[in-house]
Amino acid sequence: MPSKAYKYAVGYFLLFSVLLLLSGTLIFAEKIGFSHESIQSYYLGNTTSFSSAKTFDGLLKIIVPHIFAFGLFVMVVLHFLIFTNKRNTKEVQFLIYSSFITAFLELFSPFFIIFGVEFFIFIKLISYFLFNFVILYTLFILFKSIIYD
Amino acid sequence: MRFTLIKNVKQDKSMKPLLNGLLLFIILYLIFDVFVKNHTLGLTVQTVSTTLFGNADEFLDPMNKAVFLEFVHMQIFFLMMLLLTLSAVFIRLLHTKTKAILTMNLLMIFGLFTPLTLFGAYFFAAEFVNLYLVCFFAWHIIALYMALKSLWELNFAK
Repeated sequence: MPSKAYKYAVGYFLLFSVLLLLSGTLIFAEKIGFSHESIQSYYLGNTTSFSSAKTFDGLLKIIVPHIFAFGLFVMVVLHFLIFTNKRNTKEVQFLIYSSFITAFLELFSPFFIIFGVEFFIFIKLISYFLFNFVILYTLFILFKSIIYD
Repeated sequence: MRFTLIKNVKQDKSMKPLLNGLLLFIILYLIFDVFVKNHTLGLTVQTVSTTLFGNADEFLDPMNKAVFLEFVHMQIFFLMMLLLTLSAVFIRLLHTKTKAILTMNLLMIFGLFTPLTLFGAYFFAAEFVNLYLVCFFAWHIIALYMALKSLWELNFAK
């Protein structure tokens, strides 16, 4: 019975994770946008839309709470993989490394953008999509494990 | 350091005060969250609607879309961590009780529908505000019950 109850609890947690990713995507679309130009104007400012460039302090205020939240969220979601039959596989190791690396790049690429390294606009965008993909794939594995194992 | 599985948390001299502390802080969070929501969003249909959609008569602007999304995003994060933690403790202590799974399911369903109905109210129809308030109070009451029941089980139940 406790195992069944824990499966329910984890299942609901995974649904909340989907909601969290969805709301994050909506915020990204609303505030930044998914094109090179929109990311550039969000971080570097745009004279035609009267938006000012982001400052180092301004970015820090957004990123600092996210550093802890990303770490905690990724750890909690990925640690459930230990209870699946994929435990200790290379696939799980790949998921762990790729999720933390993409999360790191997603969080810190804006600093490089405001320092003038425009290449990091692509890094920001790619890391954002990769992070979401890795987490969604992990959620898929976990849902499958809850239902079938 | 040696990691061991604790079979009976009720009799463990370290785990018992740890769980008591956690449950106490969850209860405090649940109580003060109601006050904070009353201040930021409102707790009646009228106040929530005014915060979300503004009020032309009182010259109040509607809530900005980005601000709304950030608010909901943050709420989802806190909600998922809190509900997972509380459920884990509740299951650990009360898994033998028949209604434990039902209670946890109700908590999770109302918890899930709280941000969803708020989304619905903002983007689709103002009537969702009623559902949001039902879900908000329901998950708070169920979570409070679960925390108190866990405290009772941990300290007083035989």
